[in-house]
Amino acid sequence: MSASTQSIGGQSAADRAILLSARGITKQFAGVEVLRDVDLDLYAGEIHALLGENGAGKSTFAKIVAGVHRPSRGVLLLNNARIEVLSPLAAQKLGITLIHQEPISFPDLSISENLALGRDDGKPLGRVRWAELKREANSLMAQLGIMIDVTRPMRGLSIADQQMVEIARALASESKLIIMDEPTAPLTPKEVETLFGISRQLRNEGRSIVFISHRLEEVRALCDRVTIFRDGNKIATEETKNLTDAEIIRLMIGREVKGYIPKHKTTVGEVALAVEGLTLPGRFENISFEIRKGEIVGLGGLVGAGRTDVARAIFGVAPAASGTIAVNGQVVEIREPADAVAQGLAFVPEDRAVAGIFRTLPVSQNITAAVPEMIAPKGFIRHGLERTIALDSVKKMMIRLVSPRQPIGELSGGNQQKAILARWLLTDPKILILDEPTRGVDIGVKAEFYEMIGALAASGRAILLISSELPELLALSDRVLVMSEGQLTGDFARGDATEESVMHAAVPRRKVVGDAQAAA
Amino acid sequence: MSVPTVSPRGVAETRRMLAGHMNELGLLAIIVILYGVFGALSPGFLSANNQVNILRDGATIGIAAWAQTLVIVAGEIDISVGPMVAFIAVIMAFLMKVPVPLPFALIGGVVLGLCLGSLAGVLRAIFSVPSFVATLGLWSALRGLALFMTNALPVTFDDNDTLDWIGDNVFGLPVSAVVMVILFGVFVFVSRKTAFGRSVYAVGGNANAAHLCGINVTRIRILVFAISGLMAAITAIMLLARLGSGNAGAASGLEFDVIAAVVVGGTSLSGGRGSMLGTLLGVLTITVIGDGLVLYGINSFVQDVVRGVIIVVAVLLNVAASRRSGRHV
Ligand SMILES: Nc1ncnc2c1ncn2[C@@H]1O[C@H](COP(=O)(O)OP(=O)(O)OP(=O)(O)O)[C@@H](O)[C@H]1O
Ligand SMILES: [Mg+2]
Repeated sequence: MSASTQSIGGQSAADRAILLSARGITKQFAGVEVLRDVDLDLYAGEIHALLGENGAGKSTFAKIVAGVHRPSRGVLLLNNARIEVLSPLAAQKLGITLIHQEPISFPDLSISENLALGRDDGKPLGRVRWAELKREANSLMAQLGIMIDVTRPMRGLSIADQQMVEIARALASESKLIIMDEPTAPLTPKEVETLFGISRQLRNEGRSIVFISHRLEEVRALCDRVTIFRDGNKIATEETKNLTDAEIIRLMIGREVKGYIPKHKTTVGEVALAVEGLTLPGRFENISFEIRKGEIVGLGGLVGAGRTDVARAIFGVAPAASGTIAVNGQVVEIREPADAVAQGLAFVPEDRAVAGIFRTLPVSQNITAAVPEMIAPKGFIRHGLERTIALDSVKKMMIRLVSPRQPIGELSGGNQQKAILARWLLTDPKILILDEPTRGVDIGVKAEFYEMIGALAASGRAILLISSELPELLALSDRVLVMSEGQLTGDFARGDATEESVMHAAVPRRKVVGDAQAAA
Repeated sequence: MSVPTVSPRGVAETRRMLAGHMNELGLLAIIVILYGVFGALSPGFLSANNQVNILRDGATIGIAAWAQTLVIVAGEIDISVGPMVAFIAVIMAFLMKVPVPLPFALIGGVVLGLCLGSLAGVLRAIFSVPSFVATLGLWSALRGLALFMTNALPVTFDDNDTLDWIGDNVFGLPVSAVVMVILFGVFVFVSRKTAFGRSVYAVGGNANAAHLCGINVTRIRILVFAISGLMAAITAIMLLARLGSGNAGAASGLEFDVIAAVVVGGTSLSGGRGSMLGTLLGVLTITVIGDGLVLYGINSFVQDVVRGVIIVVAVLLNVAASRRSGRHV
């Protein structure tokens, strides 16, 4: 389990010190090559972006460096010495930390315990100093600008907060190389800014960061150099400032993509969904709004504002304590997701690993999971029909896979996300609740998603769109609602919604006292 | 898109099919090897008579194992099987002794099995008692209750032709084995072709996601335990017919064999993965080991050791196979 180091001399020093080199890294899964002869040099003290379409191999490369996967071929050099990274622990000892694309944590342990895990001081029987751990955890979270009670369990934290805990854990590790796999996907601009500040500070201390993201503007704001992957090949490594966005996209995808698609002009119909006075103590209060047929209503706000809680309440996952929900003018009782599905609602959750995918099951079953009657027209499942329907979705959503029988856990994050969206489109919903639907989806497919969402609205669906990506929210929504601390604080028509106005409404008005208790 | 979304089709698909069935192929190989070894060691092993024995023993494990497969795929476990079989057999024996007509006694047993299974299911699904604990409680309580009611003595009743027939052979095959095979077909069908079967896999794969898909997770959980209870009742009928009396100490350790068969068959204890075909091969493996060791006549304590080792090795091979095919993380 330990890392062995052996020296390979004679490497000519470049003008900058190279921290880590990959040489000829190749990875196969079940005979399918997903990385091919990747050579990459990381400088000490740089922030280096990995870009590429969904399934291009970014996470796989990151996992190889961090000891999660072993390369099929190729070597890694750390400070010009060959290393074998046999396990994540070995990577940790070498000073390499990976922040996973899907946060991994122990839901029943507290935040401070999660932060302390995996830190190995070589004394397996050493005493745990709880008070010290708690103090450390508090200061770490404060550094990240997160006010949260570190003794509360991870279970129930929003995906953004989980992500921040992961980031805090990486910070605590004092690693020389921190790999962040789409850390910003669930975060709002405020958290992203904090993360960037800290990243720059780390760089100035001489540490290196590998940053994976599908948001070009972030890469541009943060990264010194970019490496672009396509289909498992490294296509280019360049200084960020030497490439234009269009060039990057062309290298990534090999063609032009449309930008943000303004919504199709649609005629807005009657009210499809009306919620009135929805309240769940401690989560959200007195939420009322309407969505009409053909309308896209955006729901903005900072992480923790309660947007996801409202969505979950409407869909019956964690119903509100009071208030009413009306579908097509009829007040309905939604106590279970099954009730919501019966009313023609669909819900794409933000946290695909926890609430979205069936990791061990084939992609085909994942796609058809919400439409049993469609694959079993006479009461019994027809596997051929299921395959046809699944393959149809695969084509429509451009899901990259080897076979529809493949367990969905083997797909890249963005491709899993496409499959979940495909699942709910099959139900032919009248009202869609999309919670961060483009999380982890690449630029090319995002544009397709936007077009698809626009087309759904144009065909008379009502859509509630929760997104932390402001440009996306502003471009797609007919109306933008803003939540802050569990209350609706803004309602903007399409023309009036700007980044400033939305952010202004999103920032808490009153200063919070004792947030630690409030959070618990 | 310049890239085909479904890349190198044919080859990859075939590879995957093979990889998906590595486990079954491996088990088949193990069974063949076991037949070779035991056949060479003890002359009686390959006799027709002994094959019938293997089938009959297999039925005792198999019927309960089909249901256990569903339970484990759903991410749960039922360790109450052995005592439940004994308890139901004892109750049916008491009913026969009264005498209650056979059909009513059997129906009584079946209803009892359904109720006991549902009880475990309700404890799990509604009161959130972990299934290991809920069925551990049943395990202890049912065995104790059966022993208490019978004073650990067999409960005898008048001969019944129909029951004797169930304990006997048709066309040279044990009736219990025929029942096992028919039920196997039913379970394959249920697990592969019905929405219920799908839901069991979904709940075991990710209960949160299943809930969001509109699946009634509570109901699925109760149902799998109810089915497990039902199969325990059917096993109890076979046992009653074979022994001709109700015996509180019968079927001891059955839950061990049943769970071992399911796990050897490649079903994952963490839920969401497994197949009836795997369990069928697992049942055969466990039964052949048991039968072969008895025939060979080694010390019964050593038998347990050998059996334990073979089970662990089988699962190890299984894991190795799935890792090779890249399924494992
Ligand atoms: N455990 C696995 N078994 C089989 N195939 C895998 C496994 N892990 C990844 N793959 C495949 O490797 C390819 C690259 O996946 P990877 O997760 O590295 O993509 P990515 O660039 O991170 O994409 P995304 O932007 O969607 O996160 C994908 O086609 C994926 O299906
Ligand atoms: Mg990835």
